[in-house]
Amino acid sequence: MAEPLIRIRGLGYRYPEAAEESLSDVDLEIEPGELIVLAGRSGSGKTTLLRACCGLVPHYHGGDVRGEIQVAGLDVREHGPAELGSVVGLVSQDPETQVVSTTVRAELELPLEMRGEAAAARSRAVEEVALALAMAQLLDRPVDILSGGELQRVALAAALVGRPHLVLLDEPTSQLDPVAGDELIGLLRRLNGEWGTAILIAEHRLERCLAACDRAIAMAGGRVAFDGAPRDHLRWALKHDPALATPGARLFDLAGLGTPPVGVKEARQALSDRGVEPLDESVPGPARNGSRRSPPSGSALDVRKAWVELDDGNTARDVLRGVHLSIARGERVALMGRNGAGKTTLLRAAAGRVDTVRGKVLAPGGCALCPQSPGDLFVRERVSDELPGETGRSALAATGLEWAMEADPRDLSGGERQRLALAIVMAGRAGQAGVPGLLCLDEPTRGLDRARKGDLAAWTAGLTARGAAVLIATHDVEFAASFAERVVLLGDGEVIADGPVTEVLSGGWYFATEIARILGAGGAILPERGAELVRERLARASGGVVAR
Amino acid sequence: MRSPIAYRPRRTPLAQAGAFAASVYLTSLAVVAFVCSNPIVLAGAGLGVVVAGLAAKAGRALAASARWGFSLGVFIVLVNGLVAQRGDTVIVYGLWLPLLGHTDVSAEALAEGGVLALRILVVMMAFAVHAASVDPDRVLRMLRPLARRSALTATLIARLVPLAAADYVRLGEAAALRGPAAAPVGRAALARRLVAGSLDRAVDVAATLELRGYAHGPPRSARGGPRPRYVARFIVVGIAIGALAVGARIAGVGAYDSYPTVDVATSMPTLLLAAAVPVLAGLPFATATGGWRRRG
Repeated sequence: MAEPLIRIRGLGYRYPEAAEESLSDVDLEIEPGELIVLAGRSGSGKTTLLRACCGLVPHYHGGDVRGEIQVAGLDVREHGPAELGSVVGLVSQDPETQVVSTTVRAELELPLEMRGEAAAARSRAVEEVALALAMAQLLDRPVDILSGGELQRVALAAALVGRPHLVLLDEPTSQLDPVAGDELIGLLRRLNGEWGTAILIAEHRLERCLAACDRAIAMAGGRVAFDGAPRDHLRWALKHDPALATPGARLFDLAGLGTPPVGVKEARQALSDRGVEPLDESVPGPARNGSRRSPPSGSALDVRKAWVELDDGNTARDVLRGVHLSIARGERVALMGRNGAGKTTLLRAAAGRVDTVRGKVLAPGGCALCPQSPGDLFVRERVSDELPGETGRSALAATGLEWAMEADPRDLSGGERQRLALAIVMAGRAGQAGVPGLLCLDEPTRGLDRARKGDLAAWTAGLTARGAAVLIATHDVEFAASFAERVVLLGDGEVIADGPVTEVLSGGWYFATEIARILGAGGAILPERGAELVRERLARASGGVVAR
Repeated sequence: MRSPIAYRPRRTPLAQAGAFAASVYLTSLAVVAFVCSNPIVLAGAGLGVVVAGLAAKAGRALAASARWGFSLGVFIVLVNGLVAQRGDTVIVYGLWLPLLGHTDVSAEALAEGGVLALRILVVMMAFAVHAASVDPDRVLRMLRPLARRSALTATLIARLVPLAAADYVRLGEAAALRGPAAAPVGRAALARRLVAGSLDRAVDVAATLELRGYAHGPPRSARGGPRPRYVARFIVVGIAIGALAVGARIAGVGAYDSYPTVDVATSMPTLLLAAAVPVLAGLPFATATGGWRRRG
């Protein structure tokens, strides 16, 4: 029998100066050629485990290690990332620290050049990986002008270009649009199938990758809470932590259908076996908590035929092209579109951070914009120093962080840091209702688990109830379906669709929720509404009464 | 938005001289600032950097670094004036300040601060021209044989300035997004965050570099690519400027002392030295025609 690629025995790890271990008593074996998804809530130890598998823990992060960890026969405590680099590729959460060269082509060539590959082989490998990841048009661009999603793709390509035996990916789809995310999972499956590359993906959006995986591992509190087949993972998650189940599994659970399905195809087959055929109709969305009762009048954002041109240092290009858009106060709008479509630029234009070359962008009630990296807003060591005075305290109260006045922003959890960032950008921008006219968030769900995304959706609903409009740029279809009442779809700098969430996220291949794809129905359907529909259909099929 | 000191490919002789020659050349101008303290010679070195920067089409980088250097310089002059209690020409007597108590401010202490500020300004401008004109990828390759076992060392040398420049833009953008009631981001807070953040990111980038195989296998440089032109002339001029500065220092040319009274040597050798630096700095550009030459 082949040696395991990774062998971990009783691994415990504590970061320097941390009070508790981030990994405790982890026992794990990963065989060559396995494709594994690593699930777990934020802070459960997923990232630390990936770092340990490539030697960054403990060699770069320091701290105390106990137990045993071997990768490809090398003891990680003795062999650092330099030695493991030839067998392991890593794509971490933050793509900005993953890129070390000035142009995309140089970045992709670097690992091959380090190994001494010939120029022709380098060029071929770069071309292949660029085509596989649909990023050939990026090859000659400087890396410092790429969007977050584009950077993530470049980091991924750089990790894959050398064809390592093991690829570790930490939320690789968090900044990719739905099309690129699905294509990435397909590509990983292909690499895994054709090249025998073992793949370990830490991911919150399990619906994207679980069906493609051979095995699922769930982490909780730094320990392995579950290790087994994907279907067994869903059974375990529904029982112990529903936030780690897919929407499809929750649909089946809520509808009382028994065995949870792994993937859309299996779910459709299971429903078909029970006499529930694709609905082929549009399903109206449910009434949502926090929906405004009487919408405050007035415009929050008025974009009139706006053109924005950005200079990448060599040439100027139109990033927004005649965008026409109006958002009323109290609206919850999801801004979607593929990577590089112009979403961040539109948000920056709304906040007055870029000028239009033609047209106008007006935010009459003021605009607060929370950037992609909330940590960039923290420059002081105490929360109360970031937000001094009565107005600062009010801003903290509005985000539920009054208790954290004396805390260091860096010690807060991911969700708390995001709320602190929101408090900082909103401080002093509140109007009479205590909220700004428009709040924009750029990819706020990166790194958040399903429960925290739910908290964010509920919090923004509270803001809109008080009269603010909320505009969120996101690639997360499930989050958009749960948060938004309207979706604006950007394509190549233009608005290509703008309408109610039930219409825009309806019947698509990619911009559709998993439940909508399972039921074959139009509409942004979430598990709860999907379960109602399934129960209706089942009752109709058996001539019974629908129980709600 | 890109930082003014971010690298951009340019078809200038300095960019085409390659990382090593450009580094030798620009470092030599910084060396003048380190070994000479005469303000006239320092001004000559500054002029040399300006000549190099303008000829390398890095005017934005020069301007940005001059702004930052000037702000820092004013701060240094003020602090030195208040802290250094030396010098015969006292211009403010018994100024009371918290922590310092009663303090005198002398013209000599201000002048000493001015010399230090001038040195820092020259060095900052030279590094800004380097960051804007020399491809960091080539610097990284150049360092690989020298720092093969330490990706961190290589990253700190080759990438810290570009990382800091990118962070500066990002943090500046984030600072502009703060609400009016949030604490304003002062220069000191931003600088502290910038330094800490850039070092953290340099460590992360070094980790990535290690994983990409920086220390794996024999050192190699880019093969079959375009061979830099003008290597010899920039290296020769760089060595000449460095040797001139060190030689002048050994010979005692351009002596300067702030204390007890300001004494700036204005002898002919000093003036010649100050004039020679910008003239030499401009030489490699004088006959260059641009273009790349293919390797064999």
